[in-house]
Amino acid sequence: MTKRLSARMFLLIGIPLTLAIALISIVQGRADLSIAQVVQALAAELNLAEPLDPHHQAIVVVIRLPRVLIALVAGSALSIAGSIMQAVFRNPLASPEILGTAQGSALGATVAIALGWTATSSLVLPASAILGAVLVTVVVYFVAGGTRGFSVASLLLAGIAMNTLVGALIAFAISKLSGDKWDQGSQILYWLMGNFEKTTGPDVIAVAIGLGAFSLILLPFMRDMDVMTLKDEGASALGVNVLFVRSVLLVVACALTAVTVAFVGGIAFVGLVVPHMARLVVGPTHRALVPCAAVLGAFMLLISDYICRVVLPDTGLRVGVVMSLLGAPFFLYLLMRLRRGRQL
Amino acid sequence: MTDLRAERVFFAYGEHTVLNGVDLVLEPGTMTLLAGRNGVGKSTLLSLLAGIRKPVEGVVLVDDEPIGAMQSMVRARTITLIPQDSDTSFEFTGREIVMMGRHPHISRFSVPVAADHEVVEEALAITDAGHFADRSVRTLSGGELRRIHIARALATKAPVLLADEPTANLDLEHAVAILRLLRGLAGEGHTVLLSSHDINLIAPRCDRVALLHESEIHTVGKPEEVLSEDVVAEVFGVTSRAPTGFFPREFDAL
Repeated sequence: MTKRLSARMFLLIGIPLTLAIALISIVQGRADLSIAQVVQALAAELNLAEPLDPHHQAIVVVIRLPRVLIALVAGSALSIAGSIMQAVFRNPLASPEILGTAQGSALGATVAIALGWTATSSLVLPASAILGAVLVTVVVYFVAGGTRGFSVASLLLAGIAMNTLVGALIAFAISKLSGDKWDQGSQILYWLMGNFEKTTGPDVIAVAIGLGAFSLILLPFMRDMDVMTLKDEGASALGVNVLFVRSVLLVVACALTAVTVAFVGGIAFVGLVVPHMARLVVGPTHRALVPCAAVLGAFMLLISDYICRVVLPDTGLRVGVVMSLLGAPFFLYLLMRLRRGRQL
Repeated sequence: MTDLRAERVFFAYGEHTVLNGVDLVLEPGTMTLLAGRNGVGKSTLLSLLAGIRKPVEGVVLVDDEPIGAMQSMVRARTITLIPQDSDTSFEFTGREIVMMGRHPHISRFSVPVAADHEVVEEALAITDAGHFADRSVRTLSGGELRRIHIARALATKAPVLLADEPTANLDLEHAVAILRLLRGLAGEGHTVLLSSHDINLIAPRCDRVALLHESEIHTVGKPEEVLSEDVVAEVFGVTSRAPTGFFPREFDAL
């Protein structure tokens, strides 16, 4: 018998726990505040209370709140993107990082910054990131086997090749800009690290809108994602328009990844590891998996950020680095399970 | 009661012609074996008959309606295909896989209701798969998994059932059990077509045999008429001693 926790139970525990940690995360930091102060500061923003003194009010509202909120929305977005990719590629090793989607969006952003397009409109950056993500994913998709199906090996190899190629292009852009246009070069480096330090309110709103809009598009396709894991013939025979559904899902996954990467940079392993962890607990049915992965992803990034900011504040750790330090060993564990002939 | 017919169906992969004017009629309440050499196009023909591929020329008709004109969910409720390989990499339980058979019946924004669960239980009962339906499909044996996929096909309630090599890699006991199951469905009025290389085992249990040879239907008819010494020699390149009696007829699954 397969033992699982119901999605409802997972969410009933997960959501309050995540929100509680979010609150603690706002309370704690270099300047310690009380929960009452944080609540007052937040209420003040809604004109429900008197604000704290300007210094503390700013710490809560301008510095910590956006940072906590971006961790929540970015973690959710990347985890949903990973869940989609694993269904579409019918492969538990697929993820926005492994397939080069995340690197692709960084490349799109790099090109936009390097050519100075970002000054024209605030939409240019996310749009370029989405375009780069889609381009790289489509290349990996076709190189790995396209409509004929994928093996773990071809998918990983295609992803590695594209990640390397795109990484080289980004490195070239940085080295080219590091002379007289260092501002642009450092802006690009900022992506590659992945961090929430410069996150502002509008960034959070942009990612949150992306997360909300693309998750809505996803809603009618939850069962299709289940059926898609039966391979193309099986899914088509059950009435799924495989090409259409796959295209929609890939665009949604790319867009979620790209919007996130455009604002917080490259945060590896969330999209790969979180859907796995959620699947181990609630099973692979997407109607249960996707919301649970979203909550778990938010939780994981929040914890990573908490470690950087509160637990080890003076080490220069970035959230992307912490996530990689946590995620890479888990990935190795998955590979070892695969080697032992067990499923992922 | 639904009949399915292919009329002058032509299909090619690029330059390589696979089917060249195939005609085939499948009647309700019958079980037909589609046989032929490796790579002759059996799976392609099945996918054309299931409407998941479009013929380059010719037409597949379901009760005289072109399959290409059917809405995909309607088609999936009418014809179901059990592909040879629909293994999933994820730890779905057998019951969840069978529930996927209800996909064409449930609208995008709905979830399975009690009636869907009833159909799933019924399909699991018919295939005798209930006792392992709560296990992960990744832990099931080949025979158990095949029964889950047949149950999934039954859960669609489609009157036409196409099965690609349903007994491949199964031992005799499980192969016979699957055949009895399919035979029983034909007896209840389903239109059943299965492809297989195991002519000895399967042909005697079918009402008709269709031999696909050199991109065309070579012969179609009752097993004992079709599998003559000459035809078997021509289609498969082997000689047989007693064309209609060389297979053991009466295996029963325990």
